[in-house]
Amino acid sequence: MGVRAGTTVLPGHQITLADQRRLSVDDLLPSKIMHPADAEDAARGLRLCDLTPASVVIWGGGTQMRLGAPPRRYDIAFSTERMTRLLEYEPADLTCRVEAGMRMIDLQAALRAQGQRLPLDPPHPERATVGGMVAANTNGLGRARYGTVRDWVIGIAVAYPSGKVARAGGKVVKNVAGYDLMKLHIGALGTLGVVAEINLKVQATPESEATVLGHFEAATPAVAAGLQLARSYLAPSASIVLDRRALWECGLTADWRWTLALKLEGYAGEADAARDQASGVIRDAGGRVEAADLPPTFWDAARDWSAPDGDLVLLRAIAPIAALPNLSGAVPPEASVIIQPAAGVLDLRVTPPSAAPTLQRMRSQAGDEGQVVVASAPASMKSSLDVWGPPPPGFPIMRALKQALDPNGILNPGRFVGGI
Amino acid sequence: MDGADRERLLARLREVVGERYAFADPYEMRLYQYDASPETALPDIVVLPGTSEEVARIVKICGEAKVPVTPRSAASSLAGGTVPVQGGVVITFARMDRILEIDIENLRAVVQPGVVNLALSQALKPYGYYYAPDPSSQGACTIGGNVATNAGGPHTLIYGVTVNHVMGLEVALPSGELVQVGGRKSAEAIGYDLTGVLVGSEGTMALVTRIWVKIQPLPPVQKTLMAVYPDVATASNAVSAIVRTGILPAAIEMMDKLSIQAIEAASHAGYPLDAGAVLLLEVDGIPEVAQELGERMAKVCRDNGASEVRIARNEQERQALWKGRKGAFSAMGRLSSDFYVMDGVVPRTKLPETLAKIDAISERTGFKICNVFHAGDGNLHPLVLFDAFQPGQYEAVLAIGDEILKLCAQAGGSVTGEHGIGLEKRENIRYVFSDDDLEVMDRVRRVFDPHLLMNPGKIFPGNGLQPSAPRYPPGFPRRQAAAAGGEDLWV
Repeated sequence: MGVRAGTTVLPGHQITLADQRRLSVDDLLPSKIMHPADAEDAARGLRLCDLTPASVVIWGGGTQMRLGAPPRRYDIAFSTERMTRLLEYEPADLTCRVEAGMRMIDLQAALRAQGQRLPLDPPHPERATVGGMVAANTNGLGRARYGTVRDWVIGIAVAYPSGKVARAGGKVVKNVAGYDLMKLHIGALGTLGVVAEINLKVQATPESEATVLGHFEAATPAVAAGLQLARSYLAPSASIVLDRRALWECGLTADWRWTLALKLEGYAGEADAARDQASGVIRDAGGRVEAADLPPTFWDAARDWSAPDGDLVLLRAIAPIAALPNLSGAVPPEASVIIQPAAGVLDLRVTPPSAAPTLQRMRSQAGDEGQVVVASAPASMKSSLDVWGPPPPGFPIMRALKQALDPNGILNPGRFVGGI
Repeated sequence: MDGADRERLLARLREVVGERYAFADPYEMRLYQYDASPETALPDIVVLPGTSEEVARIVKICGEAKVPVTPRSAASSLAGGTVPVQGGVVITFARMDRILEIDIENLRAVVQPGVVNLALSQALKPYGYYYAPDPSSQGACTIGGNVATNAGGPHTLIYGVTVNHVMGLEVALPSGELVQVGGRKSAEAIGYDLTGVLVGSEGTMALVTRIWVKIQPLPPVQKTLMAVYPDVATASNAVSAIVRTGILPAAIEMMDKLSIQAIEAASHAGYPLDAGAVLLLEVDGIPEVAQELGERMAKVCRDNGASEVRIARNEQERQALWKGRKGAFSAMGRLSSDFYVMDGVVPRTKLPETLAKIDAISERTGFKICNVFHAGDGNLHPLVLFDAFQPGQYEAVLAIGDEILKLCAQAGGSVTGEHGIGLEKRENIRYVFSDDDLEVMDRVRRVFDPHLLMNPGKIFPGNGLQPSAPRYPPGFPRRQAAAAGGEDLWV
């Protein structure tokens, strides 16, 4: 890891006070800013930072900047705000190529014009960028049915500190030439290189859609009903169990303590069939089916719920799906919770005072097949929370990969797992 | 490896697996010199571990002796992936063929690398589940091999390839460590996605000893259609038209005139002999929806030039239609003593022009080229027919293959969709990746395998990234060797 001399002149542009505040990370402020025009430009910028060396924090839309440990150093804010082009899009191929800084909402609008979409729904699509979604591996509520970012990225161009742009994958949906380095960069928080261009698979917009709510007095039967549907052929495209407070935070009220909300999608006729099936499963589990129409903002609010602002802390448990009923029993009464039974994901919103004890309790409940991370927390909480938990198996390889691709440790130093 | 070195290494390996499961007899070595590609090279020693721990110990011993290791299970690689091109030790997973766990609760199964692909789906069937990736060789190929090549199959159009179904791996690193990476039973894991990088790395980073895979419910109904076209261009355009309507079939397979003739001669699948191209389309769904989707697809097929559309009325008819496709490669024996299978990919919309160019190559060179392929995802499998006993034909066929792969790359595609780079295409990889691209991949490889002992000679072109040249020149086909003198005839 390089150490920067105190007198070194930093590369990059002067930064305004307003931008400095806007681009602060965990209360650290950048000294300079870079906003490259394209992949090659990004690589040139990184090369300058590497030679200095100056540490870089990469910015997309900023919706996931509360994820990860505080950076060890922060010199340059490296923003993808100028890299917003849709480079290629052939609807009949169901593929597209975009620059990392393209906002999700703009990509979805371009696809929607052709009756298509990317079935990934990270929070705050009006700000979130495609590159940010890739770097933070931000998966929304559709993950159990449609998979995660790794299932839709078919190629990338990455700018490395060496000053080179290197590609992996390609533009076709089926391709096994060379190593699948897309996987390495998805969820790496930009610690191995700056993802500059992304090639994606897309899909046709579903022909039919429906929502079903099932109300329950306890979490366990709601989760069990969600699991049963997840194991069926007509699996919901989103399946979440909310406690009363989370439901309220998503704009709905209910007299019941727990609600299973199901989004059903498919070809014409499939959503109706799925609704019948879901209603039956809810009733069999002792729940009450609500047929009332939902406000259209409900699913958007549920999607954005996992990226809160302010003082709130979001804890995320990822566990084998069969372990969820047990895990949901460990949720403290003061927390609000959204469980994705089919994905094995449990999100908890807690206030700062109860964050640390809750994190500890969840980690001990998660068992050795599960893990609990701090997905979003204010700067003030980061010093008292172990945001990633213990390093995973294979961590020495991860550290060696970091050393191989970013030998001077300039990329997001310290923010990733195990201090990478 | 000289005789004394080999004896010393063999003795150490026998300490791990026992006398019976490590051998170096020259006659037996010949059984392990080839796979389903034309390439051959002799190993020095073959070892059959029975457990993950044995694999790790073998890899460690070989690492200490600086001897290359080549993994092998069904050896159905079409790209020379399991040919031990630098000699050394072949580790075959034939004994590690157990399904360790079927976990319906978590929608997972845990298998050893030597489990045959189809065997897993058969074991899951009583529960109403299956494992989605289905390479055409699924009755023989193993899940370990599928992981190495990130194998696909006809139904990957909608369900994705192997990597989309692998959650975690246990691997033996070149250092001799056994590591579990990935989410195993849970969907996601923190840290870099090492599982995702290892899948498709063709055994060049680590050896997979255990695999956690996703399983999914069997579709209630599968509707299969056959659509008949006057030529491949019309059929290709129909494929794009179907996708544009918003229907994504589970599979879209195409067979051209020559293939149809071979298939009909071999398996009587019911494809019309006078057709220029046949599309096989399948949708999954609940009965009422699948029926309707089938009819909608049939209409699109007719509207886009199909002279005939036949919907399989029952499972028997469906199986008959698929039997032809799945047996297509073996049916080629009816047309030619030898054939060379290609595996290029183009964007689906570039199929008509690419097929026309392949046709022009066939015209120009006089070699017949059949096309049987996954049209839905643009994954071409041109089969170049030739006679290996005719001097010069094999070299000419390799040149044709090279030209076709270049075409695919120029059309925005790839030089391999599912077979892997292996030995066969390590020079062709340059058509899709620059030196900078390959340099990053090489750095990643060396993190796992600093001494380049894991399946060496594969994937990377010989441009200095390789430590040494292969002991046997690639492109030395078995039958040519046989023709040169009975000595080298394989059995």
